[in-house]
Amino acid sequence: MNTSALSIHTLTKAYGALTALDSFNLEVDQGSIFGLLGPNGAGKTTLIRILTTLMRQSSGSATIEGFDIFQSGQEIRRIIGVVSQENSLDRYLTARENLELHARLHGMERRLYAPRIDELLELMGLSGRQKDFPDTFSGGMQRRLVIARALVHLPRVLFLDEPTTGLDPQSRRAVWEYIRSLAGKMTIFLTTHYLEEAEQLCDRIAIMDHGKLIAIGSTQELKDHLNGATVYEIDFAEGAAHSAELLGNMPCVIDIKQIGNKVVVTLECWECLAEIVTALNGAPVRRISLQERTLEDVFISLTGEKVRE
Amino acid sequence: MLRGSLAIWQRDMLILRRSIISELVAVVAYPLTIYLAFGIGMQGYIGLVDGAPYSLFIAPGLITMTAVNAAYNESVWSLWFHRRVQFTIESYRVTPISVSEIVIAKILSGFTHGIIKGCVVGLVIFAITPFRFPLEHLVQYLLFLIPGSAFFSCAGVISGTVMDKPETIGKVEAVLVMPLIFMSGLFFPLSSYPSTVIPWVRALPTTALFEGARRALVAGEMMPTAAVQISLSALLTFVAAVYIFRRKMSE
Ligand SMILES: Nc1ncnc2c1ncn2[C@@H]1O[C@H](COP(=O)(O)OP(=O)(O)OP(=O)(O)O)[C@@H](O)[C@H]1O
Ligand SMILES: [Mg+2]
Repeated sequence: MNTSALSIHTLTKAYGALTALDSFNLEVDQGSIFGLLGPNGAGKTTLIRILTTLMRQSSGSATIEGFDIFQSGQEIRRIIGVVSQENSLDRYLTARENLELHARLHGMERRLYAPRIDELLELMGLSGRQKDFPDTFSGGMQRRLVIARALVHLPRVLFLDEPTTGLDPQSRRAVWEYIRSLAGKMTIFLTTHYLEEAEQLCDRIAIMDHGKLIAIGSTQELKDHLNGATVYEIDFAEGAAHSAELLGNMPCVIDIKQIGNKVVVTLECWECLAEIVTALNGAPVRRISLQERTLEDVFISLTGEKVRE
Repeated sequence: MLRGSLAIWQRDMLILRRSIISELVAVVAYPLTIYLAFGIGMQGYIGLVDGAPYSLFIAPGLITMTAVNAAYNESVWSLWFHRRVQFTIESYRVTPISVSEIVIAKILSGFTHGIIKGCVVGLVIFAITPFRFPLEHLVQYLLFLIPGSAFFSCAGVISGTVMDKPETIGKVEAVLVMPLIFMSGLFFPLSSYPSTVIPWVRALPTTALFEGARRALVAGEMMPTAAVQISLSALLTFVAAVYIFRRKMSE
């Protein structure tokens, strides 16, 4: 049995001379929450647009629940829900009418969609505002409405392109909670710039850059990819500069930074810590702490620190 | 198959219903101003045109102009707005309906705007001016008004599909649409043109529309070639509009 909800083979998209998606391969399990990370311009939206049949690939292929994106566009659109990067709400229709139009475009009958829409509005905390126009909504409410719209027809695969960009922490957490509650019922494919979001939500994470997949795995697996170097933070009561100079000359120290009374040392491996402690003998050390590697470290180490054009 | 078109068309009609008063005030103001300025103001200087007082000569053209202008404007702006500003077209495109259903809905909406607004201006002109026509002429007139509105709605959809910037839309309207309407015998009889130019002007679908529509409404006269010409033009632009929109969407 094929349990891939999404199966992508050497998918390529060129905009003129620019290759936005470069021989991209990926499998996403049914019922999982999959996160796609990448710097601005990495090609995330391009990938989603191709998978949701809004755009045609230059070469390669992909299937969603076994349907080929090129040959079975209509079947695919029946089973997917899409939250695009830009809000595409109809500002001349009320919140409820937005959902109703979407249901009708999916060929649903009123007796079927009316209760479903009630339920979604309630769930998204929009029941009281269903007769208002989206223009009068805050960014977070608009985003929740777009998500509700993508769910009206009970999709089997949900695509979310930066679902929480621009939301305050409360709204973001509400959206996360809702996405988590959907887990297992459908496959969720999301892109995000918030590494915490990927870490909190996703079973598996892929990092892409320049149209290519550069790493994939669970958060832990990705962190394990980082080289053996470990980072410690040492707080001094005084004389941090002197100690930093001393430590900086030691062979096992890869990098050292001093910020006020704090020194951040990067060691080749954790075994070197003993040497450091010995060297600091007598210095007024207040605290030595290990800096946890974050997904952000993985992300930066893989994609570099340079800001994208 | 046209379920999707119906849903989108009904959405457009709901919006029209919500703003019907302001829409109608705006749409009546323009032809009425022209009627008063030219039909009444200039009447004394112009006298009879083709055997009719000038105000009566231009009245049918003003109704037709309102209809086709409204059809064109609705289509061009709606398509541009939903495609470039609101991205609603994109939200339609991730549902199971086809791209053709979307473009057909938009053509229908522009067409409906044209017919409704044309009729309202007709009623207003009827109510406040001495312009009268026998009611049975209305049937012949509709044989022009319907394909005419369809033609302009399709032309609007094409413009709104290929043009990405609003200022381009304004320019095309100024150099193409308005001249086409004004030059095709709305304000003066075709016989005013030099004889060498007349065949060219006659070849324009807008001439067939305005000439045919006026004769139909005023004299109950039927110009079959003109009716066929505007109907065929409407059919051709319809096919072109669907084709061009589908191509644009598959880019
Ligand atoms: N319609 C287009 N025409 C030409 N180039 C495009 C087009 N759309 C995107 N690109 C280019 O393709 C590359 C990938 O863009 P894409 O929008 O997929 O990136 P992204 O990963 O979604 O970025 P972001 O995080 O900023 O949303 C970028 O270099 C972008 O400039
Ligand atoms: Mg993007």
